[in-house]
Amino acid sequence: MPARSLAQQLAAKQREISVAEFFERNRQILGFDNPLRALLTTVKEAVDNALDACEEAQVLPEIRVEVAKEGADRVRVLVEDNGPGILRREIPNVFARLLYGSRFHANRQSRGQQGIGISAAVLYAGLTTARPARITSKVEEEEAAHVVDLLIDTQKNLPRVVTEDLVLWDRPHGTRVELLLKAKYQRGRQSPFEYLKGTAIVNPHARIVLTEPDGTRVTYERVSTEVPPVPKEVAPHPYGLELGELGSRLKAARYATLLETLLKDLAGVSPRAGREVLQAAGLTGKETPGDLHGEPLERLLTALHTVPLVPPSADCLSPIGPLLIKRGLRNVLGEVRPDFYAPPVSRPPKVRGGFPFLIEVGLVYGGGLPADQPIQLLRFANRVPLLFQQGACAITAGVEQMDWRRYGLDQRGGSGLPVGPALLLVHLASTKVPFTSEAKEAIAADPEIEKELTLALQAAARHLRTHLSRRSRRDQAGEKFAIIQRILPKLAEKTAHLVDRPVPDLTPVITRIMDIVYLDLTAPEGPAPAFRAEITNYTPRPRVLETFLEMPAALLGSATFDPAPDGTDAELGRAWWTLAKLAPNTRATIVVTFPTKTEIEASDLSFYVAGVDEAHLLGAEPLPGDWDIRLPRAVIEAAAEAGEPLPGTDDTEVDYDAAEANEGARDED
Amino acid sequence: MPPKRTKAPATKTEETEGRHVDALQPTRALARSIYEQLDAGEIPRMRLPLRTKQNIAFQMREGVWRLGRALGTRSARKLDGALMLLRTFYLVDFINEMARDNKTSTLRELYYISEGWEESKFHSEDESNLLIEDLEVLCERLREDFRLHPEENGASVIGDLTIRERNRKGIVKKINCRDDVGDGGYALPFNVESEKISIDSTSAKFVIAIECGGMVDRLAENGFDEKNDALLVHLKGQPARSTRRFIKRLNTELKLPVVVFTDGDPWSFRIFASVAFGAIKTAHISQYLATPSAEFLGVTASDIENYDLPSDKLSEQDVRALEAELTDPRFQTADWRAEIELMLKNGRKAEQQSLAKYGLNYVTDTYLPEKLGEMGVL
Repeated sequence: MPARSLAQQLAAKQREISVAEFFERNRQILGFDNPLRALLTTVKEAVDNALDACEEAQVLPEIRVEVAKEGADRVRVLVEDNGPGILRREIPNVFARLLYGSRFHANRQSRGQQGIGISAAVLYAGLTTARPARITSKVEEEEAAHVVDLLIDTQKNLPRVVTEDLVLWDRPHGTRVELLLKAKYQRGRQSPFEYLKGTAIVNPHARIVLTEPDGTRVTYERVSTEVPPVPKEVAPHPYGLELGELGSRLKAARYATLLETLLKDLAGVSPRAGREVLQAAGLTGKETPGDLHGEPLERLLTALHTVPLVPPSADCLSPIGPLLIKRGLRNVLGEVRPDFYAPPVSRPPKVRGGFPFLIEVGLVYGGGLPADQPIQLLRFANRVPLLFQQGACAITAGVEQMDWRRYGLDQRGGSGLPVGPALLLVHLASTKVPFTSEAKEAIAADPEIEKELTLALQAAARHLRTHLSRRSRRDQAGEKFAIIQRILPKLAEKTAHLVDRPVPDLTPVITRIMDIVYLDLTAPEGPAPAFRAEITNYTPRPRVLETFLEMPAALLGSATFDPAPDGTDAELGRAWWTLAKLAPNTRATIVVTFPTKTEIEASDLSFYVAGVDEAHLLGAEPLPGDWDIRLPRAVIEAAAEAGEPLPGTDDTEVDYDAAEANEGARDED
Repeated sequence: MPPKRTKAPATKTEETEGRHVDALQPTRALARSIYEQLDAGEIPRMRLPLRTKQNIAFQMREGVWRLGRALGTRSARKLDGALMLLRTFYLVDFINEMARDNKTSTLRELYYISEGWEESKFHSEDESNLLIEDLEVLCERLREDFRLHPEENGASVIGDLTIRERNRKGIVKKINCRDDVGDGGYALPFNVESEKISIDSTSAKFVIAIECGGMVDRLAENGFDEKNDALLVHLKGQPARSTRRFIKRLNTELKLPVVVFTDGDPWSFRIFASVAFGAIKTAHISQYLATPSAEFLGVTASDIENYDLPSDKLSEQDVRALEAELTDPRFQTADWRAEIELMLKNGRKAEQQSLAKYGLNYVTDTYLPEKLGEMGVL
């Protein structure tokens, strides 16, 4: 018998490897390499899908997650949403076919992208417990919900419907996924609990309820009723195209000529740029797009990458926005009672390759956050928390490279995670997030992202530095307040009693000790937000103070003021007063009231005071030089008026209580 | 029997030294000063002599270290200063109240009285003691003048010394500190002034002030006082004001030389300094408490070597204490510098009772006679 050639033998062994089979052998790539992680990945994929579905349908998400123990090493997971539901015919493909999805081909920001995630969870469940996934889904147009039990045929990468039924469901629309899988539930840094907490922070419009295996129920209430707009789908920008994709786009082109296709199917190509591209590629533009391949196609791509084009539009991004970042953080961190929420930073969109991206940063400081540990870093990509591989992530690297000591946090050697009672949130939104792997756990290094990240972190850190320096000035003033409010009156009373004379007026002494103008802003309780600014002249001379209030411009119109301001600027959101002459140790009050339910807090109001120099002003900022304000004559005159000279602190004097040497302390007697 | 030494006739100045009947007047003057500053719109402040080792000066006339001229300011400009000013007048108020009610108070009672002073209350007895000393300095009075006194401290005297003490009932009793007392000796009251105790007579030729009770007992059991005509005074560690004052009276009124016998460590040097030179913290009344002619007997650094005494390594704290002593003006004599430097060099310290290495009688039969002989006392 003639021996078969080696090539023939090998050819006989070669056969197609199904995608499902491939993933079965490479579970770790998708995040199913251990029982803890398998559970997190399952919850994460299901919840990400639920949020995306709600967003697409512009529904305020109601998400229920239940984790229950079943036997020694199995866990039942249920994730239910109030999204639009999935048509019966789509259910098997959506849940039990890898690489099947509606979002992969869309050039816009979304949580899931590749269409692997939830099917991988179904696959994992089937592999570890041989139980089908149960999907219940109802669309608005149908009376009943479809219940489908699914397994994946790993040979063919095709769904297999085990059983199916129709049931009544007491909700208009929604989807429920139930899976039994080999997994383990545990709270901790990389747990469903942490993941949902992070999700709640960056999705303040969602209501999320988690029921843990021991029955504990954790609820994150909705703090915003605005559904984020669905990010727009835009044509791909040539800067992000690779050869194969360009080829397939041209093949699928709807237009007759190449030029028309370039102008209409790609973003950023103006007619002039289009002609330049064609010229550089040695093409006429009249070619049938689908016919282009080989070397001309390569020349076209090179030309597209070299001829200057209009940068990609950033409309397709959906930032969380400063207001909602703050609200989300407050909602979840409320119990920790931080002292300070830095105004969140939302950078304008930038482009990396052909893809727009933007960076957002939130920073929280103080309160119950641990002061002696590295700061907590919460990383997000397209509103999804990243819980693994912190060390391998470009976000972490960006945070670690910054010298936080300049901004008031401890950091050994000026690099590495800073130490302090702070929490840092970093969100990267992009139509294509450059993950380091398919598990989508860390963001790959990229100079453009790094640059934007640094700018955003610096902006947030500057707010922190301002806060800390104000706090330390306030502490110093606090000491002085203690002297004038608690100690001095008693000292006067005691000595007056001992010498049998009336208690003297302490105003001159008080102003000499304080020597500041102090603005104290309080927000009394009440249904309508009302803020009370008390401006006290604790300096030894009379002052005429020009006081400016700045607030979000949109709110200025609804605010009422007592006393009425001497002027307002609706565009800039400013109101100002020339306060009547304040004698030493007297105060003026300004009350600002907003209509009931106005969303505003004290940190949204900024006060600026002229008529006293910065060194003697506390609780308000000096008037910024670039405002270009002409101050009333009375303010200038009063400021120029020579007051009683202050007795300077005689630095040559030794502070007796500081000098008391411990040396003699052992010479007791 | 050697002739009994009798007390030299008391001079007027000794009787009234530092003693004032009206202590209240200067406290009110203090209040007036603060009141007037407040009334004039000035940030109230007081100036006090600094009680630091940088601010003590040797007074040739009295032969003691007293406070120098450097002043510190206690001002209401700072929270600590303001609080101390307020405390001062809570204290002044209390003193005036006691005078009105004819009461006295222990230092410890004062500490508890301050519980009612709200945020001006004392956080430790040290704080109250320091403030009382401030007041002593400011008013040039003694704390007893303010009706404040320490608790009985029980430092004791053993030996042939006859005194007359006026007891609580006002009866004057004649007491011999060897024959009329138990094994514990005569316990010194907190007030050892002449209105309380008058010194009668003694057969002793010198006073030996001893740091530890165990050593006092050893000398008493071995009959050291009788054999060598000595008065044993127990210092109980850092001696109380009354102990130092009594030693000074024995020295000035009976013309008895005083030697100080302590452990051989840096802290014992400070015990000697407070007896002989005056303590930094009470430098304002050194002339009244210090015995400039007192001499240090031992245990010296060279004793540790010469007598080959069991010793311990100096701790870090010990070394720091010795280094601090090298910058202490009171120790700036060639002898003291040499002694401190030798101890630093050897790095060893020893207790007085380490002499028991050679038996219970060694200290009384060998060590003390040798040392006292060198010093010319015996």
